[in-house]
Amino acid sequence: MILCAQCSHPNREGSLFCESCGSPLSDQQAVVTATKRLDSTPGDMVAKATWGTARFGEDATIILRIRDVSEPIMLEPANQIILGRKDMTSTNEPDLDLTPYDALDKGVSRIHAAIRRSEDNLTLVDLGSANGTHLNGQRLVPDQPRLLRDGDEVRLGRLVTHIYFR
Amino acid sequence: MSRVEIDPYSILGVSTHSSIEEVKAAYRRAARRLHPDVNSSPGAKLQFQDITAAHEILSDPTRRQSYDEQVVRRKAKQEGEYYFSLRVTPSKRTVARLQEPQVVYLLAEVLPDPRARKTGPKREARVNLTLVLDHSNSMNGTRLEKVKVAAHQIIDHLSDHDILSVIGFNDRAEVIIPATAVKDKAALKAKISMMVASGGTEIFQGLEAGVGQNRRFLAPKLVNHVILLTDGNTYGDDQACVELAHSASKVGIGISAMGLGQEWNDEFLDELASITGGTSSYIKSASEVVKFLNDHVRNLSDAFAERIQISIAPDPDVLLESAFKLMPQPQPLQTDQGTIPLGSLQANRTVSALFQIQLPADMQIGFRSLARLMVVGDILDNTVQQYQTLSDVSLEVMDNPPIEDPPISILDALGKLTLYRMQERAQAALSAGDVEEATRRLENLATRLLAMGESELATEAMSEAKRVAHTSAFSDSGRKTLKYQTRHLLAGPTFEDA
Repeated sequence: MILCAQCSHPNREGSLFCESCGSPLSDQQAVVTATKRLDSTPGDMVAKATWGTARFGEDATIILRIRDVSEPIMLEPANQIILGRKDMTSTNEPDLDLTPYDALDKGVSRIHAAIRRSEDNLTLVDLGSANGTHLNGQRLVPDQPRLLRDGDEVRLGRLVTHIYFR
Repeated sequence: MSRVEIDPYSILGVSTHSSIEEVKAAYRRAARRLHPDVNSSPGAKLQFQDITAAHEILSDPTRRQSYDEQVVRRKAKQEGEYYFSLRVTPSKRTVARLQEPQVVYLLAEVLPDPRARKTGPKREARVNLTLVLDHSNSMNGTRLEKVKVAAHQIIDHLSDHDILSVIGFNDRAEVIIPATAVKDKAALKAKISMMVASGGTEIFQGLEAGVGQNRRFLAPKLVNHVILLTDGNTYGDDQACVELAHSASKVGIGISAMGLGQEWNDEFLDELASITGGTSSYIKSASEVVKFLNDHVRNLSDAFAERIQISIAPDPDVLLESAFKLMPQPQPLQTDQGTIPLGSLQANRTVSALFQIQLPADMQIGFRSLARLMVVGDILDNTVQQYQTLSDVSLEVMDNPPIEDPPISILDALGKLTLYRMQERAQAALSAGDVEEATRRLENLATRLLAMGESELATEAMSEAKRVAHTSAFSDSGRKTLKYQTRHLLAGPTFEDA
């Protein structure tokens, strides 16, 4: 239960506004800025309204942060970066081996997904992995690329990572 | 709408080179969530039919091969065809495990093909438009004159690729212009000018004749749409109208309803529009008629895809509580049918809807799916019009989830939707006879409106609060203003895709 600070109405967990008096419940500050932003220019709006920019500049690098791992992984942009885990038995090798991050236990496939570069943006594509690739909570259909944005959450099986552009 | 054009691979979420075992496993996984024995939601029933059909195709090597060949043949023909995509954003990606149920919001956005925006000289969709115009006695004078001006301008706007029919109705319906290509504009306008106001208002008569005219040219390549404009209440034929709207929706005709003045039944017109994916609007005075009608028709001819329908199948233990269309025109949605019509998708705007769902208490730690959303629609410029896309939404249940800010887009939409819900609750309280509660809710609404910088609307809410406190009733215009203006706040700025 979340008790409304204004009128003490009990709201269910996860509610963002009080059912009774309409006051914002989570973080007063966040809503104030949200209304303010409506006055700003439409161009400004775009970047903030979505999870982040999709534009990936010419000399940008990809930073991959794995949850519960303090050190970020820097990736040199290439036309295709295959994410997966190395395995003695298989001949295909991924470009980024996630074995050190518990990839096997977390259900990462040997050839799991790929980050592809096209013009000035990046796409994520699932390569038919067993446990699926999720982009911001949505499961990707294998072989169908999806646009990546700065700050996106990418989940390979149960391994949670975040992608940033620098 | 027929649902035969499915892509079995994307429906089961398997790749085109997956083995039969993988197909079967994917089917079993999906069936555990969607089978009618475990999931009673109407959306799940529909989607279960789809996964079953997909499984039947892919698990039978002969059928699968013939499907693959068919796709290859069609691919060649469909090279470079348009698509639309679906993006679903949950209000949270991690939730705490709790002993009590909790709420999560899903923002579903249908995005048009970015190429459609770029295509050179502005393309216009062909419309099959029917105007159903009230010419009862109360329309006499300025109202009917303005409607005629609006109809004339619409005729000017349409071209000979478009189909137009016009019905006038009072106690009975009269076909003023039978469905025809818009060629001899002067003759069509002359017919409109002959309309005179008399008699009462019986909406069903007019609507039935209108849908009948529209059906004559009904085609998947067209935007098939009926606009109903009335200024009065209809008596006793509401139910017949609702049934008519359901059957119109099934064949792909959208109905938009416009109420002029104060005396019409807003709940009824809202329902008619929601059933078919159309919109309902409140036209306060006759002087606004021309603008409303023109804008509406212009939006129709901007359509990139038509008959967009979304279905949401929550997992068996997840409850879908409400759905609301945010853009382009805010509209409450009904969730009791399997599919929810969302109207048309324009080339330069997104169609978005907000879903409120409830998660059960005591969920298991780990990742879990919430719901499967699927969107179908007809892309007007494609050789094969019907297109579909789907999305499985999941989140992680943890003991101590990290603190995350809800996405601004959800926060912003929900903040405004809350205002709409507040006026709804004030009305509900008053209908239940609780004057005190209704007054309190209106005062709260005024406070929130003021906090959001909507001072004019806040004043309206405050004066209605006073009126309710003294007379135990809303004023007709105040009630409609609060309802349609708070709804209109949701339209807000357009969120363009970056």
